[in-house]
Amino acid sequence: MNATLSATLRYAVLILVGFLMLYPLLWMVGGAFKPNHEIFSSIGFIPQEPTLEGFTKGWQTSTEYSFGRYLLNTFAIIVPKVAVTVVSSVLVAFGFARFNVPGKRVLFGLLIATILLPKSVLLVPQYLMFREMGWLDTFMPLYVPSAFATEGFFVFMIIQFMRSFPREMEEAAVMDGCNSFQVLWHVVVPVIMPAIVSVALFQFMWSMNDFLSPLIYLSSVEKYPVALALKLSIDVTEATSWNQILAMSTIALAPSLILFFAAQKYFVEGITVGAVKG
Amino acid sequence: MKRFLVACLLILTSIGVSAEEEVHLRMSWWGGNEVHRAYLTSLRKFEEKYPHIKVKAEYTGWVGHLERLTTQIAGGTAPDVMQVNWNWLVLFSRDGRGFQDLNTLGNLIDLSQFDADARATGTVHGKLNALPVTMTARVFYFNATTFAKAGLPVPTTWDELFAAGPIFRERLGEDYYPLALNFLDVLALCRTWLVQRTSAQLVNEDRRQLNATEADTAEMAAFYERLVKEHVIAPAPIRASYGNVAEQELRPWITGRYAGTFYWTSAVGKLAETLQPGQKLVLAPYPMRTGASDAGLFYKPGMMVAINSKTKHPKEAALLLDFIFNDAFAVEAFGLQRGLPVSKAAVAILEAKGLPRTIGWDGNTQVSTLPHRVGESGYFEHPRVRDGFIDILESLGFGRISTAEAGRRMHTDVNRILERVIRPGRVKPAEATYGD
Repeated sequence: MNATLSATLRYAVLILVGFLMLYPLLWMVGGAFKPNHEIFSSIGFIPQEPTLEGFTKGWQTSTEYSFGRYLLNTFAIIVPKVAVTVVSSVLVAFGFARFNVPGKRVLFGLLIATILLPKSVLLVPQYLMFREMGWLDTFMPLYVPSAFATEGFFVFMIIQFMRSFPREMEEAAVMDGCNSFQVLWHVVVPVIMPAIVSVALFQFMWSMNDFLSPLIYLSSVEKYPVALALKLSIDVTEATSWNQILAMSTIALAPSLILFFAAQKYFVEGITVGAVKG
Repeated sequence: MKRFLVACLLILTSIGVSAEEEVHLRMSWWGGNEVHRAYLTSLRKFEEKYPHIKVKAEYTGWVGHLERLTTQIAGGTAPDVMQVNWNWLVLFSRDGRGFQDLNTLGNLIDLSQFDADARATGTVHGKLNALPVTMTARVFYFNATTFAKAGLPVPTTWDELFAAGPIFRERLGEDYYPLALNFLDVLALCRTWLVQRTSAQLVNEDRRQLNATEADTAEMAAFYERLVKEHVIAPAPIRASYGNVAEQELRPWITGRYAGTFYWTSAVGKLAETLQPGQKLVLAPYPMRTGASDAGLFYKPGMMVAINSKTKHPKEAALLLDFIFNDAFAVEAFGLQRGLPVSKAAVAILEAKGLPRTIGWDGNTQVSTLPHRVGESGYFEHPRVRDGFIDILESLGFGRISTAEAGRRMHTDVNRILERVIRPGRVKPAEATYGD
């Protein structure tokens, strides 16, 4: 009896807080179905005069391309970016965690320092560099740098994860005749799978939201990702059609949500293990 | 024989084609949905008219456009034709050499459509860097529906405006106000109030300080206090409770509880657009202080178009610029989307087409009838000068400092900022005294 009561109470509190946290998201989805003038005059998320205008007009966009084009562009950037980030971060983390290289402490310090470096400092020099390489207005500047483990945070996270499990397993593999790469592939990678999934998910979500780098490097509208496309219709001299923007944001959110729920088991394990045992 | 003739013809046509080599231009702008549509259709038409020129459109929303353009100009990859803001001329072309001198392309651009004042706004050190799309100033617009509900005509003088405050409170309720102003609007209104008395620019560029004395800035602070006290605008804490949103998205504006604004003629359309159905925004007669010889307007170009100084195709870029400003198709595509055009040809086309007048257009007509010789220094819009003023007005609005202290600090603090931002010997921003 007592147990039921406490469970009811706990769930009631959880549902209430969960609802509060989710309210902005619900409001966004509700707003997508509202006519424009209703969005700012009511706080409720249930539309009084529901309409699909936001979706149809938003999908067409005011540009020469439909919103589907921008979604595809986003994936053309994100998929290679996530792939090279995972590979490079794991390799570098493995190096730092298991090998003794001269100057390792200094190098590791530098790596951590890059986490603290504001991204905007690098913008102009990188822009000039990519201009010399002729990579402007292509997707390359957006994902190629990630192939060099430039996300210090991910490397750090994987290192912490690797520290949490015993070397004996790897030593056993070496005794059986594995070289370093085989140890990494057959022993380490399966164990650090949760961390790898976390890295992939984080990179996916961050790249999805990244606004500044595509803004700077891509000049052709046909190559814009979603983050740029959503802001295309927001101007200071024109009233903004928020219902279109909310509708397209809802669509753009779907891939992140689906991916998150699909990989949720690994993801949560990944961040907690890395955080607690590190 | 026939074959030979056909072959000759083929050779001839191929020569004809190769003589006019294909030129690729890039053009950048920022804007919202309507602006994008207007530009894109105009560019397609331009390509039809000049088949050898292909234009690539590079556009974004407002957010980030300046950052992007700055990087492109720094990296030497800026587009051939670009839409710029008036105050960007100081950023990218301090000596006038940052953009093409359009005077040298005068045979391709019909400069006679722009009067001397309009050309002066885009001239830096004798070089015509950019041409204005529209000219704009702040004037008064009121929600006629709310005023009718209060049983009042829209105010025509300062006294009537102040008298409306208490009547609003009495007849409509505590949360009804005749004006909806954020601090930027308040600053503009305080400046206008002062300039109508002094007939001098607020900022003096040559002396690198304010023309206003400490007594003058005290008058500005007192004016703000009076607006709040006499129920003309909502006190800062109350206004802030509706969130820090764009003016057209403020709830009491949409519902008509805040029934007026002091806004740019070029952009007032967005304010009218979000009003709840049934409400009507009208242009009000411009109030003048007794004895005022100048309306105290801050009359400036709303948007400008410039040509990259490093473009490889200045001639084709000039053709495009002229098309955007003066061609009937482009003019009709834009309509009054970006305010009333400056180009005389464009105005004639719109009038001939019988385009319904908008409150923005009426606003521009009103401005042209008002005495506006004084003008203002571009440094009044410098972000740090503006923020300096607004910080003080906010402290006053939220009751952190007294009116007397606000007046004093507007003098000392802003003068200090001006001295820092206007570097001596530095080229002055494009500036003009605006006549008739």
